[in-house]
Amino acid sequence: MRSALDGVMDPEIPACSITDLGMVERIKVTSEVLEVDLLPTFVGCPATDMIRRDVEKALKAIAGDAPVIVRFVWDPPWTTDRITPEGRKAMSGFGIAPPLLQIAVPCPYCGSRETFIESEFGPTPCRTIRYCRSCSNPFEGFKRKE
Amino acid sequence: MDDARLTLLLAIADDEMVTGHRLGEWTGWVPYIEEDLALSSIAQDEIGHAKALYELAADLGAAPSADALAFGRRADQYRHAVLCERSNKDFAYTIARHYLYDTADEIRLGGLSQSSFKELVQLFTVFRPEERYHTVHARTWFSRLADGPVDAKHRFSEALASLMGEAVALFEPLPAEESLREDGTMPVPSEQMLGRWLDGVTRDLESFGLERVLEERSEPAIGDLVPTSSGAAEESGDAARLRVPGIERQDGRWVHTGGFEGAGGRRGHHSEEFAPLWEEMTNLYRTHPGATW
Repeated sequence: MRSALDGVMDPEIPACSITDLGMVERIKVTSEVLEVDLLPTFVGCPATDMIRRDVEKALKAIAGDAPVIVRFVWDPPWTTDRITPEGRKAMSGFGIAPPLLQIAVPCPYCGSRETFIESEFGPTPCRTIRYCRSCSNPFEGFKRKE
Repeated sequence: MDDARLTLLLAIADDEMVTGHRLGEWTGWVPYIEEDLALSSIAQDEIGHAKALYELAADLGAAPSADALAFGRRADQYRHAVLCERSNKDFAYTIARHYLYDTADEIRLGGLSQSSFKELVQLFTVFRPEERYHTVHARTWFSRLADGPVDAKHRFSEALASLMGEAVALFEPLPAEESLREDGTMPVPSEQMLGRWLDGVTRDLESFGLERVLEERSEPAIGDLVPTSSGAAEESGDAARLRVPGIERQDGRWVHTGGFEGAGGRRGHHSEEFAPLWEEMTNLYRTHPGATW
């Protein structure tokens, strides 16, 4: 079941799986049922419904006749600290700077720290727009949430 | 579910929903892309929060679905404060409304953080880090406009002055407040949250020399256009200056006294500006019952 969930990618950051993002809170496998509790990331994220659909599909493929239950729960609250080291690496490779405490996050293209936030708001609720002074590229960063 | 708790849930959900719709009207119209994304993202967050609150109400049995609550009610069944439905006018006016609402929302999230309504507290824990971005955005623009060129400062302070009275009514006590107090759903009464909020707004205004916003509200000027010495046309007669209703300076602090202007949002009374918004917001749901999207 773990590996089935590892194969479900975030529709907006297809390099990261939902396990990379720390969205999987609890799984339960018995001979009767496959159950998973997921944590939504940003509340207004429209990808949530797509993720539910993709998880259902992935689990049904391995469930045989057992029913599949996919639930979104709010407790504990999801934070960006739940993103795994592999997830952060994949995110950076995709061109999105993973969330960091400091303002000057390294540029995902050239690695320079000569960067600044251009806007706290980006193309999705979870992203900011940043700019790299070294390679003159604008880039996206994952918004911190804690 | 408990009717009193439902009135609280709907007041907050409807505030977020209507605020989100108003901010969403800017999508594609803001003069530059970053700000367009900012207002659109905030709108998306607010509507997301409303959705989560409607889902909670539906899960607790208040309605067959979140959509039925979001779009299936008559205009007079919405419980948001009148401030939230005010149309966008110009950018300064939108930012004034955004600042007044989001600072009040921040106080409300704090005031309910110890509520006995566990499911609501869980949602608020998830909302708060998102709302922080909204207040930072509102405060950034607050200082930019309040400290900006004459025209920006003028438009912004006029907008704040005209909205101040209705902003106070964001904290109009709910009809069921007494029972919500008794069962611990509202550990901090509305009146006390209003006091906290007024203190914060006063500090912000004073630091930019805008305290007159609390003293007087402006009414649109009525008069003929007359030429000035510079040749520009100007409206004759000063804009009428009236006291902001409901607040008064006592011992150096602004406090709430008496009633609420534009009161009644929490009981379903709305301004004429809500009708076209309701019409648009609920159109798809009403035209195609049962549609999914």
